[in-house]
Amino acid sequence: MNPAMLSLELAVIGLALAVLLIDLWTLHEFKHRLGYLAAAGLLVILVASLCCASTGEPPATGFSGMFVQDGLALFFKRIFLAAGVLVVLMGVEFRDRIPMGLGEFFTIILMELAGMMFAASANDFVMVYVAMEMMSVSFYILISFQRSRSYSLEAGVKYLILSALSAGLLVFGIALIFGTSGRTNFAVVAAEGTRLAQNKLFCLGALLVLLGLAFKISAVPMQMWAPDVYQGAPTPVTAFLAIGSKAAGFVLVLRVLFVAAPALALHWGKLFTWAAALTILYGNLCAIPQRSLKRLLGYSSIANAGYILLGVAALNPPGSVAVLYYLAGYAFTLAVIFIVLCLVARDSDDIAVLAGLNRRSPLLALALTLGMISLAGIPPLAGFFGKLLLFKAVLEQAAVHRSYLWLALVAIAGVVISYYYYFGVIRAVYWSEEGPEMTPIAVSAPLKVSMGVCIAAMFYLGLCPDAVLSAAAKAVQALRF
Amino acid sequence: MTPVGLQHYLVVSVLLFCLGLLGVLVRRNVLVIYMSLELMLNAANLALTAFSRFNNNLDGQIIVFFIITVAASEVAVGLALIVALYRRRHTTHVEDMTALKN
Repeated sequence: MNPAMLSLELAVIGLALAVLLIDLWTLHEFKHRLGYLAAAGLLVILVASLCCASTGEPPATGFSGMFVQDGLALFFKRIFLAAGVLVVLMGVEFRDRIPMGLGEFFTIILMELAGMMFAASANDFVMVYVAMEMMSVSFYILISFQRSRSYSLEAGVKYLILSALSAGLLVFGIALIFGTSGRTNFAVVAAEGTRLAQNKLFCLGALLVLLGLAFKISAVPMQMWAPDVYQGAPTPVTAFLAIGSKAAGFVLVLRVLFVAAPALALHWGKLFTWAAALTILYGNLCAIPQRSLKRLLGYSSIANAGYILLGVAALNPPGSVAVLYYLAGYAFTLAVIFIVLCLVARDSDDIAVLAGLNRRSPLLALALTLGMISLAGIPPLAGFFGKLLLFKAVLEQAAVHRSYLWLALVAIAGVVISYYYYFGVIRAVYWSEEGPEMTPIAVSAPLKVSMGVCIAAMFYLGLCPDAVLSAAAKAVQALRF
Repeated sequence: MTPVGLQHYLVVSVLLFCLGLLGVLVRRNVLVIYMSLELMLNAANLALTAFSRFNNNLDGQIIVFFIITVAASEVAVGLALIVALYRRRHTTHVEDMTALKN
């Protein structure tokens, strides 16, 4: 056992406790500086993870095999850390709408981040449960942080009930897996994979675990919560839900499917094609009539979960590489969109608040437009190349099973539908009647820099994807197909 | 009379789980729904303990401790949240939670 394996997680938790302590000696008007402190700390940890931390080669396991530090874990931890920096900076911008407890707000974001990082390294079903609950419990608090707004509280209670339901399914699934295999460690369960794949009880257990994880990635049939919670939660928290929680769900799905139960995954291609197709159609069709921007992004997030599930359903290494690549691009795309929403959608998040945005702040209008273009999947931005990779992986599989051809067609139909509502947002920015509020919007320097970084990352991922692709290809070596 | 075996425990556990799930789906009071959710967790605890006992493998009972601990922290936050909602809206019925909708 090597405690140095946990250095990134321990650093984040240490930072969280430091922020909590320093909060005690900080005057109210300086509390937002805690956010800058947290962001700076996370940035240092991110840089450390990029240059000094072990590369995950060879993979190291610790704590009786419960925790694994490999390429896959590190890839996701870097996404989470980058998302954490951006979310904390959004939180600083959002401070006037958080009546009290700004220090705790940043602390809980950091705790949440630690939970996501543990999830990325989970190598045992117990670890999956504990990491998922660490995320969920932090999110209950974060979502309902604006206690004076009944939207926020209602979203929190809805998330509480549905998340606890998914945890119940997950735990019962783990109980069945433990009962049939006698172990909860992924490697041990996988070693007996072929025998267990015949066992109905084990299959039921794995199915329940996947249902529990489907909640986190907001995939059909556990997608109901996403629009309501996205709309009600404070905007930085919505961003974290959309970026971090979804990515954490996907890393767990990949690990459970391709590390713990590779024998089972082979038989479950059909299940995943159905889940992906239904998720894509549900998200895209329901997004069309939406007027609330955050609700729209909630449905869009369901649709994107469907696209990413294409890569899982393909059951091949290119599919998983595409999942990783897509999630990296998705993180920066959504971050830039939510930064704009933090600044623009102050009292209401109706699409009408975007009216005249191109004259109030050309920078924000451009950033939002680029974000929407990337989400719609138009070259040369990150979203386009990610979708291309996902479709390519599915078509490769279509040579073997013809049903994948239908899946690809459904996905393309979904993308075409999504143009309607993504371009609806762009139209509202540039071509709508001028709104009553036409004062220019001031953007703080840290947010300007973060928007610049996100836009640069979107172009970089779209134009020269090689570096990230090779990192993703190395990361998926942890999986077996 | 046959001795109580693994199946008996599992049947009770599945029944508890289904009762909990049913409660979540049909009950309309958030507190009762939350109780039903705890029932689901306890069904899993029972299954884990029984598997542990009959397979001579104590790992399951340790997992139960994890679940109890995590569930306790979840309840602490969850009940606080429900109380906060009650103070604001004076209701704990799911029918009244319609501020967020299409």
